[in-house]
Parts: sequence; C-alpha cells; structure tokens
Amino acid sequence: MSTVISQEALTEHEHEPQGRSFGWYGMVFFLASEAVFFANLIAAYLYLRVRAGAWPPTVEHLTRPEPLMTGINTLILLASSFPMHFAARAITKGDKRGLTIGLGLTALLGAIFLGGQAYEYVHNAFGPSTGVFGSTFYTLTGFHGAHVTFGVIFLLICFIRSLRGDFSQNKHFAVNAVEMYWHFVDAVWIILFLTVYIL
Amino acid sequence: MATENLWTEHIVLQKRPRWMKYPILAWITTTDHKKIGIAYIYTAFIFFVLAGIEALIIRTQLAVPNNNFVNPELFNEAFTMHGTIMLFMFLMPMWTGFGNYLVPLMIGSRDVAFPRINQLGYWLLAIGGTILALSLVIGEAPNVGWFAYAPLTEATATCLSQSATILSQAETAAAAAASAAGAQGCFSAGLNVDVWAVALSVLGISSILTSINFIVTIIKMRAPGMTINRMPLFVWMMLVTSFLMIFALPSLTAGASLLLLDRHMGMHWFQAAFQGDPLLWQHLFWSFGHPEVYIIILPGFGMISEILPVFSGKPIFGYAFVAWSGVAIGFLSFTVWAHHMFAVGLPLVAQAFFSASSMIIAVPTGVKIFNWLATIWRGRIRFTTPMLFALAFILQFVVGGLSGVVVSVVPVDYQVTDSYFVVAHFHYVMMAGSTFALFAGIYYWFPKLSGRLLDERLGKLHFWLFFIGTNLTFFPQHILGLLGMPRRVYTYPSGLGWSSLNFMSSMGAYILAAGVIVFVANWFFTIRRPATATTDPWDAYTLEWVTTSPPPPENFVEIPIVRSARPLWDLKHPDQADWRKRAPRQPVPQS
Ligand code: HEM
Ligand SMILES: [Cu+2]
Repeated sequence: MSTVISQEALTEHEHEPQGRSFGWYGMVFFLASEAVFFANLIAAYLYLRVRAGAWPPTVEHLTRPEPLMTGINTLILLASSFPMHFAARAITKGDKRGLTIGLGLTALLGAIFLGGQAYEYVHNAFGPSTGVFGSTFYTLTGFHGAHVTFGVIFLLICFIRSLRGDFSQNKHFAVNAVEMYWHFVDAVWIILFLTVYIL
Repeated sequence: MATENLWTEHIVLQKRPRWMKYPILAWITTTDHKKIGIAYIYTAFIFFVLAGIEALIIRTQLAVPNNNFVNPELFNEAFTMHGTIMLFMFLMPMWTGFGNYLVPLMIGSRDVAFPRINQLGYWLLAIGGTILALSLVIGEAPNVGWFAYAPLTEATATCLSQSATILSQAETAAAAAASAAGAQGCFSAGLNVDVWAVALSVLGISSILTSINFIVTIIKMRAPGMTINRMPLFVWMMLVTSFLMIFALPSLTAGASLLLLDRHMGMHWFQAAFQGDPLLWQHLFWSFGHPEVYIIILPGFGMISEILPVFSGKPIFGYAFVAWSGVAIGFLSFTVWAHHMFAVGLPLVAQAFFSASSMIIAVPTGVKIFNWLATIWRGRIRFTTPMLFALAFILQFVVGGLSGVVVSVVPVDYQVTDSYFVVAHFHYVMMAGSTFALFAGIYYWFPKLSGRLLDERLGKLHFWLFFIGTNLTFFPQHILGLLGMPRRVYTYPSGLGWSSLNFMSSMGAYILAAGVIVFVANWFFTIRRPATATTDPWDAYTLEWVTTSPPPPENFVEIPIVRSARPLWDLKHPDQADWRKRAPRQPVPQS
C-alpha cells in the first residue's frame, strides 16, 4: 500500500473552513489582545487622573489642549473608514480599480491624520517629561499614533500589491486583514479622544 | 496494531529547496508543529538547567548564617534571574512546546492553523531568551526581583525632571531629595532593568502569537466528530491557557512599556514626586501576574487529567467538571490580583473583595482535586514513573493550594507576606505542582516524541530524588516564614532559630540537582537506543497514540472519526466503546 499525497492539499481539503477563514479568527484574537493593551493604558491613565484630583495636576500649571483641531483630525480619521470599507467591498465583487482607489484614499487620510498629530505635538505647551499629564498624554496618543503609522504602511503595501494585480475576487486576505485592523484603530481613537480630550 | 508499518511506504510530496538537505537549516526553517514543539522543549530545558544553577547559588549562599559565598549584587541577580527564567523561559515554553507537539495530534489534525506565525513565536522566544542569557554574560542581569517593583526600577536620571521649572519650589526640593536618595542607590541606573523589560515584552508578544495559533487550531481544526465536549482535557487546558495569555500578557507589555518610557523618555508614570504612582506598577504587574500563575498551572492540570485515567484504567471522573472548572478558574483569575498587594494599604473594601475572590478561586481548584481522587479510586493502578509524578503532584499541589488560601486571609498575609512562607507557597504550586506535572508529561509522552521509552528504573530514581528533594527544600520554608525570615535576604545572623531549617532546605536543593542529573543521564542513554516504541505503549485513550511513535510529517494517514472523549479506547474495544454506553447527545458522523 502506498499513498502519495501533498501535505498542503490534505490540510486545505480537510479543514477548509466553512464560514469564516482561519485568518479572520486570527485577526479577531490579535485585535482582542491589542484592545486589552489599550484598555490597560486607559485604566492606568484614569487611575493617575483620579488620584491627582485636578487634571492636569495643579502643580503643573497647564491647561488641557483644545479639542477643536484634534476633533477635526478625528473626523478625518473616521472618514477614512469609508474608503476602506468600499475598497474591501469592491474586491469581493472583483472590482480591482475600486480596491486600488479605496486603499490609496484610506492611506492618504491616515497620513493626514498623522500629520495633524505631529503638528499638535510640536505646538503643545508641554512635553512627555514635563509632568505626569504630559506623560499620559504622549503615551496614550503616541501608542495610537504608532498603530496608525503601522496601519498606513500596511495600507501602502496592499496598495502596491493591488496595483500589481495581486488580489482577486477570491484571494485577498490581506485586504480583509488591513480593513479589520484599520477599523479597530479608528474605534480605539474614538475612545482615546473622548478620554484624553473631552472627559 | 495493524497500522504499525503503514508509514514506511508513505511518501509526502513537498517542494523542498535544495539547501534544506542540511538538517540544521531544516530545523531552523521548519514550520512543522512537531519540530517547533521539540525546539521549544529543548530550549526550555536548557533554561531550566540555567535557572537551576542560579537556585543552587541562592541555596548555597543561604545554607549557613553569615555566609558570603557570592556577593550581594550577584545574589540579587541570581534570585531575579531564577524566578524570571523559571516562569518565562522554562514553564511557559515547556507548555507551549508540548502544546505544539500534542494539540494537533490530540485533536486529529495534520497541522496547526498558522504554521508560520507559530514559527515566528518560537524565534521571538529565542530572541527574548538570548537577551536574558547575554545579560548574565555582560554582568547586567536583571536584579530587581521577578516582579520588578517601581520605584526601585526607575533610572536615577529621570527622577530629576528636566522641566522642574514648572514646579513650585517646595516640590522641586522634594524631587531633588528623591533623586538624591536615588543617587545613594535606591534606583536602578544600569541596563539591568531595561534587559528585563525588553526581554519580557518580546516573550510576551511571542506568547500572544502562539496563543492565537492554539486557539484557532483548536476551534477550527478538530477531527470530524470531536465536539468541544470530547476534546482531551490537555487540549481544553491549553485552550483556556491561550485565552489567559492573550488577555493577561498585554498588561505586562503595557507595564513594561511605561517603565521604559519612564526610564528613557523622562516620563513619570511611577514617580510619586510627580503625581505618578509606584502602586500603579503593582496593579499592572499583578493583573498580569495572577493570571500568569494559572498560565503556569493549567496545562499541568491538563497533563495530569490525561495521565491519571490511563494508569488507573478508568475514564476521568466527571469530565465536564474538570473541563469547565478550568474555564471558571480562567475567568476568576482576572479578579484576584490585588491579593499580592494586601500590605500596601489598599482600601478596606478592596481588601475584602480580593480576599474573598481568592478564596472563591480555590473552589474550582478543589473540584479538580476531588475529580482526580475519584479517578484513581478503585482503579487498577499501574505505578509507572509518569503515574508516580502525577500522584505526587496531587498531594503536593494540595499543600500549595491550602497555603494559598491561608495567605488570602488578610491579617495572616500581613504577618507572612514577603516572608519565606510565601516562597514555600509558590514553590509548592510551581515546583511541586507544575514541574511535577511536567515531568509526568515528559515521561508519558517521551515515547511519542522520540520513539523510545525512558528507562523506568532511572525514572523512579529521578522521581524519589525529586519527591524527597522538593519537600525537604520547601517544607521547612513554611516554618522559616512563620519564624519571620524575610524572602530575598542575602544572609542572616545565627541564633534566630533559622539555621538548621535553612541548612535542610539547601540540602534538599542538592538532592533536586541530583535528580536532574539522573534525568539527563536517562535522556542521554535512551536517545542513543534504537527507536522501538510501539504506537501505543501505555494502553492509552487519546488520538496521539493512534499514530506511530514518532508520527509521520502529516500526523495521520487517515483522519480518525471521533465518537467519544476516548477515541482510542473505542477503537481498541469496539464492544465496550464509550459511545455505546449512553445515547450520544451529538449526532454521530457516519464513516
Ligand atoms: C488555591 C489557589 C491560590 C490562592 C488562594 C493563592 C493565593 C496567593 C496569595 C494571597 C499570594 C500573595 C502572598 C503574598 O505575597 O503575601 C500568593 C502568592 C503567589 N502565588 Fe498563589 N495562590 C493560589 C494558587 C497559586 C498557583 C496555582 C500558583 C502557580 C502555579 C501560585 C503562585 C503564586 C506565586 C508565584 C506567588 C508569589 C508571587 C511573588 O510574590 O513573587 N499560586 N498566592
Ligand atoms: Cu495571585
């Protein structure tokens, strides 16, 4: 008795998931873990803030940054979720042009958001070591900014791959992954904006 | 069984680059879960020996009063590295290694869900471990205890803020006083703490990736008919452990990041002089740290739940209770962290809450112990080496669990916290518990991994050395703690009544070392013998014993169909198959 089989073929055949793909589940648990990371940062921030009484602490003689400009920046980031959504929808219908345009637009809006954040950092009256207010401010927004940066890079990679025609109606997991990631980063920002600027 | 020689003619076609013919490169680039599993196990064992040597340094230093076998600086590095490595580079990677090897086999799968992410997880672990090991070589090993409490971990430079100008004069003076204290050695300026924070963040990310792989593999790749309530209990516990890892490790990564920001960006998260708070560190650390101790024990529970039934000749008693109490422990483990902080002056309500929740978590733990006892009750017990380790596990884990309940009583904890009593508690759960479960597992699965059975006589010698050594080392530490000996002291004067107990404890440590040497010898001689182990040398119940020892690259020729929690029993005893005993609740897939 002799069997000749390809290992990949077997795995694919026996386990090709009904319903969601492996990658989808993987992304969900990865993002869940990321969410816990941000939850920890937010909890740490609230802990110090409650203990300090006044916020920023009175000894630091600071006022919190105005939410207006960052609010507009927030709207830009939120808006970027729409082209992202349409890009992912486009490729499920086989519309590669729509995908490319959507990805490019999302990356562009993401980059504008980062530019806004950089502008704000430069013009703030306080730095990360000024006091605990600055420490919390730059940590929370900074970790998020790092995530957006990573997201933009990820989007650009997908954009280039899309230009080269790497994606098709049936094979485009990277697009789904970047979409999930991007919506996640957006959602986190809403919470961070509300806690750091509004609350 | 008839399937014995099936594999010899079995060919797997794979596109293999030419350079893969060098075995070393094949190992480095492998995405095979079995090879990665073995790489984890060997790596973890090497670090076990390293951390064991550190333990011997500690115990030698403490063997007699007023000793100066090593200097105090090295002593600090020894206990910090011992704890850090034993948890992060020994027990965690061991569980990941066995999980990698066994989970796909146990659920009847050919592979894991994300072979490459799995590989990345291993290499991140290797990087983290290398950072830790190199720090010893360059003499900058972490030296602040495995929980690295702030403000001890803060760098001196950041205590004097560059922007002190915005503070009032009084506060500037306070800050200057604080950093003057730092200059006198209260804070950690060297690389030691950075090594700790960076290495543990890397290891944390590695564990998160690995866990994602485990979860998706277990959820999506089970053999036909293996419903969630027919999964082997080791798989159950790896599933719960993986969830604990993805939800607990981010607290550690977040804490370590804030610590690094304090140290290198001049931030003030944990600096009281700037409205930061050192206790915030403790909250972040222990909200990871307590789930961590269950990450360390649950896979051991799983192994014990596989081994006891096989050597008792019975199915596990109360399968569902064993499985779901593990889930309960998983949830509860997130609600107890501040029992490590009773002495810091928490509000009374908080103390009451965390004391009660800690006692509640002992309930599902107790449930498991009764299930195990009922499993061996009236069984046809075979006293093999794995079974001996498993039985000793039950006994010793009960001691550790009980001392845990004792320290969760707040007034008692005030008295014994940071004393050797706590050291005794956690060694009864982690050494006498987890590590015994691990060795039970090593002896049990060694034939599956290598095709060879470890020698039983050397195995039993190893067991008795470990049993005597462990109890001799750690039991006296309960008394030392009650007599007031603080943990982490460099030495002690004579005449406090501590000397003979410390001496006993150190002798126990040497006996343990002898046990490890016997084990290594056993491994060394066994691995040289021809691979003659049969498919199912222990007359076991689960799917990993359906395939050859060691299994072929694709694990199974034909994926088995599962009808109960003991598929191999069903196969061997069709007339008494478990699924015949009661009407199956789930529909049985037709072959
Ligand atoms: C029956 C359940 C348990 C209870 C109620 C319990 C309770 C406690 C308490 C209250 C402390 C703090 C003592 C102090 O520092 O003053 C503690 C410490 C500790 N426990 Fe447990 N525990 C239990 C099980 C476990 C298990 C299963 C493990 C690990 C496998 C474990 C590992 C540890 C460790 C490592 C420490 C000391 C941490 C340190 O200070 O370095 N415990 N336990
Ligand atoms: Cu705990």
